[in-house]
Amino acid sequence: MSVPLDPAVGERVRELGTADLLVGIPSYNNARTIAHVVRAVAAGLAKHFPDRKAVIVNSDGGSRDGTPQVVASTEIGSPQTILARHPLGPVHKILTPYHGVPGKGSALRTIFAIAERLGARACAVVDSDLRSITPAWIELLLGPIVEHGFDYVAPLYLRHKYDGTITNSIVYPLTRSLYGREVRQPIGGEFGFSGRLAAHYLSRPVWESDVARFGVDVWMTTTALADGFRVCESFLGAKIHDPKDPSADLTAMLVQVVAAVFDLMETYHERWAAVEKAEAVPLFGFPHGVGLEPVSVNVARMVGIFDQGVRDLRELWEAALEPHVLADVTALAGAGESAFRFPDPLWVRVVHDFAIAYRRRALPRDQLLRSLVPLYLGRTAAFVLATAASGAAEVEAAIGALADEFVRQTPDLRARWPARAGSKEA
Amino acid sequence: MLNDVLRMTLVQFVDRVRSFAPNVLAMLAVLLVGVLAAGAVRVALSFALPRLGVDRFAERSGLGDVARRAGLTRRPSRTIALATAWVVLAIFVLLAVAALDVQVAVDLVTRAFAWLPHLLVAFALLLAGGLVAGFVRRSVLIAAVNAGLPTARLLSSGAHAALLVLFSAMALEEVGLGQRVVLTAFAISFGGVVLALALAFGLAGKEVARDSLERLLRRRGPEDEDGLKHL
Repeated sequence: MSVPLDPAVGERVRELGTADLLVGIPSYNNARTIAHVVRAVAAGLAKHFPDRKAVIVNSDGGSRDGTPQVVASTEIGSPQTILARHPLGPVHKILTPYHGVPGKGSALRTIFAIAERLGARACAVVDSDLRSITPAWIELLLGPIVEHGFDYVAPLYLRHKYDGTITNSIVYPLTRSLYGREVRQPIGGEFGFSGRLAAHYLSRPVWESDVARFGVDVWMTTTALADGFRVCESFLGAKIHDPKDPSADLTAMLVQVVAAVFDLMETYHERWAAVEKAEAVPLFGFPHGVGLEPVSVNVARMVGIFDQGVRDLRELWEAALEPHVLADVTALAGAGESAFRFPDPLWVRVVHDFAIAYRRRALPRDQLLRSLVPLYLGRTAAFVLATAASGAAEVEAAIGALADEFVRQTPDLRARWPARAGSKEA
Repeated sequence: MLNDVLRMTLVQFVDRVRSFAPNVLAMLAVLLVGVLAAGAVRVALSFALPRLGVDRFAERSGLGDVARRAGLTRRPSRTIALATAWVVLAIFVLLAVAALDVQVAVDLVTRAFAWLPHLLVAFALLLAGGLVAGFVRRSVLIAAVNAGLPTARLLSSGAHAALLVLFSAMALEEVGLGQRVVLTAFAISFGGVVLALALAFGLAGKEVARDSLERLLRRRGPEDEDGLKHL
């Protein structure tokens, strides 16, 4: 089914006819930062792909702060100050509202649809709240597709050792162990993709589901991996974006991301059941160290919530965890902040048990995943304590060791995976 | 004279028994069919429901938990089979009574059938109440634990009890049992509980109240926040 476009946007697409490259910028109330992003993208296109016809698409979710007006008024025609070669043609802009379920997924769907209608060969998407984006990012996201024939470019950022804990403790190791490819940041926010892959994304029957609202990043990465597209990574340096509400709800974030990952495990069960080992994907760019802002962590609070979870959520965890896993988790409680530990094998077993419980509908799914929060906080606290004195390389090695443990326990997960949703039988 | 009277009385009695006997036989026949039908329904449901995944659904939805809390220790499929069999038998008993064709019995049956929908609605309310209360209890418990509130169990049990009382009051009102009494009792006890909790929290637990408020306010403060970006 073709994606409905705004009539004016459809007309603009017909005017343009075709394009070689397309960069999408989904937005919602990003008037403060989007002009910088648009200028960086335009400069990147003009500098690195001067002989290609390029289009920037802003897919906006109904901003009330004038984001589309900022995009419309941002001057992108004369970035000569940083150009070695002048572009053959101007970079075009398309401003479009998106239709369907509100969320980033719907914004991206509109971008995919425009890319398909323009016949774009290579596309990229960048977040509209970025402060650290440079023109080089555009080359790093589009170059591997244009010049090396890749279909999907995942971003690789330099991050603080305590940043991205859901990614580090669940999404990255699980994706690596299940789909056999090492994509370090499967929930990047920025990525490149071929026109072929955009058409494949559009053909998937997910656009009325939760993917349209959230979880589209991990869905895109997993779909590219599981459906056999050529995947690589590009090192983009540090990612700094507009500060978000610091009290943003961790529970909602964890539930959304983990639900997306577990849903994909169900969709692609036959694919991951056949994967035996994990291997690296090609890396573009030049990894280097940069200064990162320090991160403060309240370990005592996290350990406290874990201990309370052990006391109060036992009846729920009984429905999800195997008895011996629950006993091991219970034994961790009460150790106190300084002696608190959460061993890798036990954490892997917890995640696998929750994935199986999700599959067999052991509890209402939202409640099941919300009850994972104290366990996740316990694991995060233990990770922070264990790596307090470690440098970036040692922390990366610890995350790698966890990923290896996920790989080691995958055969057991396969053996226990329920054959049917809602059933206990493997 | 006396003989005539006795003879007449006896004849009339025999006539009445003769005219009433078919009704009694019909009643017995209906009862017999009812017993057989109830038994057949029980056997059929006991066989079919587990195969349709009713027990699994009951466990997943929390109905099994509700039933256990109500003292029903059988598997949900067996409980449903037994309850349905009793309902079938009750309907046949009412039909059997109606077969007697006695005015009192007919009135009784008419009133019973008029009351039956209310009874079913009340039963559905109790069932829904158990489900909703169980779901809310778990949700409140998880949310309170994730927020680090030490009173998580108290909060979840309070929400559970309040919903059970509310649904029970609605069910009793539906069957017409002491409508005003139930409503008034509910309002008094609910208001009393809230007042008692407020007083207990404000007087006996003022330290806890202060601590909780401080924790709540501190959640938004910068010094207690993690700088972690989880994604």
